[in-house]
Amino acid sequence: MYQSESVIRNHYNNINDWLDQMTSKVILEKNAEAETHFRNIGITFSTNNETARERIIPFDLIPRIFTYTEWLRLERGVIQRAKALNAFLADIYNQGEIIKANIIPKEIIYKKKSFEPSMFGFSPPRDIYSPIIGIDLVRTGPNDYFVLEDNCRTPSGVSYMLENREIMMRMFPDLFHNNRVTPIDDYPTRLLQTLMSLAPIKCENPEPVCVLLTPGPLNSAYYEHSFLSDQMGIEMVESTDLFVEGKYLYMKTVDGPKRVDVVYRRIDDEFLDPLCFNPQSVIGIPGIMDVYRTGGVNICSAPGAGIADDKAIYIYVPQMIKFYLGEQPILDNVETWNCEKEQELKYVLDNINELVVKEVDGSGGYGMLIGPKSSKSSIDEFKTKLSTNPKGYIAQPLLDLSFSPTLIKNQVEGRRVDLRPFCLIGEQAQLSSGGLTRVAMNEGSFVVNSSQGGGVKDTWVLAE
Amino acid sequence: MLSRTAEYLYWISRYMERAETTARLLDVGYRMSLFPNPSGYNNEWESVLSAAGAIEGYKNKYDTIEQKNVEDYLFFDESNPSSVYNCILNARNNALVVRTSFTPESWLAINKTYQEILNLKKQKFTKSDLPDLTEWTIEQVNLFRGSLSSLLRNDGYNFLFLGLFIERADNSARLLDVKYFVLLPKPQYVGGNIDNMQWSILLRSLSSFRAFRWAYDGNITATKIADFLVLNNNCPRSLSFCIQNIVKHLTNLTCSPEKVGRIYNNLKDLNTKIQEEKIETIVEYGLHQFVTQFIRKISSVDNEIHKEFFN
Repeated sequence: MYQSESVIRNHYNNINDWLDQMTSKVILEKNAEAETHFRNIGITFSTNNETARERIIPFDLIPRIFTYTEWLRLERGVIQRAKALNAFLADIYNQGEIIKANIIPKEIIYKKKSFEPSMFGFSPPRDIYSPIIGIDLVRTGPNDYFVLEDNCRTPSGVSYMLENREIMMRMFPDLFHNNRVTPIDDYPTRLLQTLMSLAPIKCENPEPVCVLLTPGPLNSAYYEHSFLSDQMGIEMVESTDLFVEGKYLYMKTVDGPKRVDVVYRRIDDEFLDPLCFNPQSVIGIPGIMDVYRTGGVNICSAPGAGIADDKAIYIYVPQMIKFYLGEQPILDNVETWNCEKEQELKYVLDNINELVVKEVDGSGGYGMLIGPKSSKSSIDEFKTKLSTNPKGYIAQPLLDLSFSPTLIKNQVEGRRVDLRPFCLIGEQAQLSSGGLTRVAMNEGSFVVNSSQGGGVKDTWVLAE
Repeated sequence: MLSRTAEYLYWISRYMERAETTARLLDVGYRMSLFPNPSGYNNEWESVLSAAGAIEGYKNKYDTIEQKNVEDYLFFDESNPSSVYNCILNARNNALVVRTSFTPESWLAINKTYQEILNLKKQKFTKSDLPDLTEWTIEQVNLFRGSLSSLLRNDGYNFLFLGLFIERADNSARLLDVKYFVLLPKPQYVGGNIDNMQWSILLRSLSSFRAFRWAYDGNITATKIADFLVLNNNCPRSLSFCIQNIVKHLTNLTCSPEKVGRIYNNLKDLNTKIQEEKIETIVEYGLHQFVTQFIRKISSVDNEIHKEFFN
């Protein structure tokens, strides 16, 4: 919000005035109102904690604002990246040009668990493997954006993006009269159009039947699953609602079997088809992979799409952009040391006090070490881990994430934020006009993950 | 519509209806406890428990029948599958899965109820708080039912109402079964205090106390009450009204006419009989037998609905 110590950036002036006229009583009331609203609509996430099975994510009232020009650059950068990631997937599951060109070593790809051998030689509709990509971005200076990670499987959080806006419009209508905020409520429609544009070859239906496949109510993103299917007007199914017969996929309805053309799956690869992946899995649709490979159904995202967001592959994304698109990357990667390489491991071990070390397969802010903020004993612990299993880790410098004004006990204070906008790729590629801003609610914290005390904010993109 | 969705919708309204029935029974028990207790008179809390189908479960848990325990068992107890708490919890868990199949208002109605009962459960209650709790429950169920009026009139709507009327038919019949002896003609007691009290229990628990007065002129007689609760099509809780509505929502289903036909065939005779029969004949034949048969029929229709649509 601030340009320098005390100068407020232009586009935050309105917000500053608005904050000035709110008494702390009003703020308290509005906070309570938001919390009740989120509980009532059920936008909660499940935890294993028995006493509080359903938690809500803390919501901060102060929106985060992007100007039109700022967003334009992000939009181009994210779409570019999403295209390159899909091109990469199409390549490695077919010709493997990027390997032949010695840009990415083949071991890194083929030995990964997220690489799916059964996808070899098969091309999904429009060669789109990952139609919904969430890119996690951080900002360190006025024009310095970095990509922290890519999410090519089933990125979640879009329901928060939409609900945060809903609650803001409901509580502070005047804010929206005085600011020209680009609407985001067409996201579900665009998502459905994207899915329909990815119908399989054998689909004869001009309006393909799409379903959302959920693991069920115990999944932490279950609210999002039901929210999205409701908004799109498509069935939310569990795997027991689906079955395969004669090269097609059907759902069990009260009218009898109904053919399904596109499955927007929110379950992991290994639970898709017990015949193909995990034979122990009880949730899964036997034979769906066969139907998929013969063009009877499309599965979004494609099995094996996860290889593209692997932390070891991340390092190569800028090169992918040059290789497949012939363009310069618009958004930078964070400098990353691959501990698998001997020299880089040495550097990491020597400078571990300055670095953030992450597990290659970790997520949710767990299994990582923030060097400058850690005790000597946990640093030593990580040193041992690194030496015994170097290829399980990468390291990055600790980025000075941008601050965003946040209400803490009725006072405005700066807290670190990141951003996840959502990119859709089907017949066309497009970016949501906003995203999910996550905020580290604890003072001095760098961890924005909701599982570790992170909160969320409404994210505005101002119209031109 | 997914078979699973249909099943969940059906059960949501069954649970909400059951929550209301349980609350009404508690209310009746509460009223009775305020009246002087004639010697040799049945313990009303016991008949409340048996009407709620909870007598066995209760006796496994408690040795004596006491108001505080009955209240707790029927309202909050997690080990009683028909407690108001469990009904709301189950309805809410089902609604979570099928919220896409009804309106946001219906979801809100159920979820708010759930959030509130979680808070109620944490509070301490005294005996005199019971009317507030039962009133609250009835209000919540009415909110939910009201929200259904803005639903699309599709199969989902019909499954919701099938569930509602199957549950209500079953509840009304069970209540009649527990209290059928009150309605048998026993000239020596007519107008006596005990009978008055017993009738009022029946009518109140079926939320028909006031309505009965408006529906029938003259003296209250056992036959009139039986007629009202069994055969009167104006009474929204009578057996005949429930059957009529089950038939209506069943035949309104647009999916699978063969399945609808099969279930209808099973139901047809009962429906005809109940529409044509005179109450005197039923009482003469045996009200108890009639009600028992009715309960069995409803349960077989319920089984068929599960078999045909939800599998």
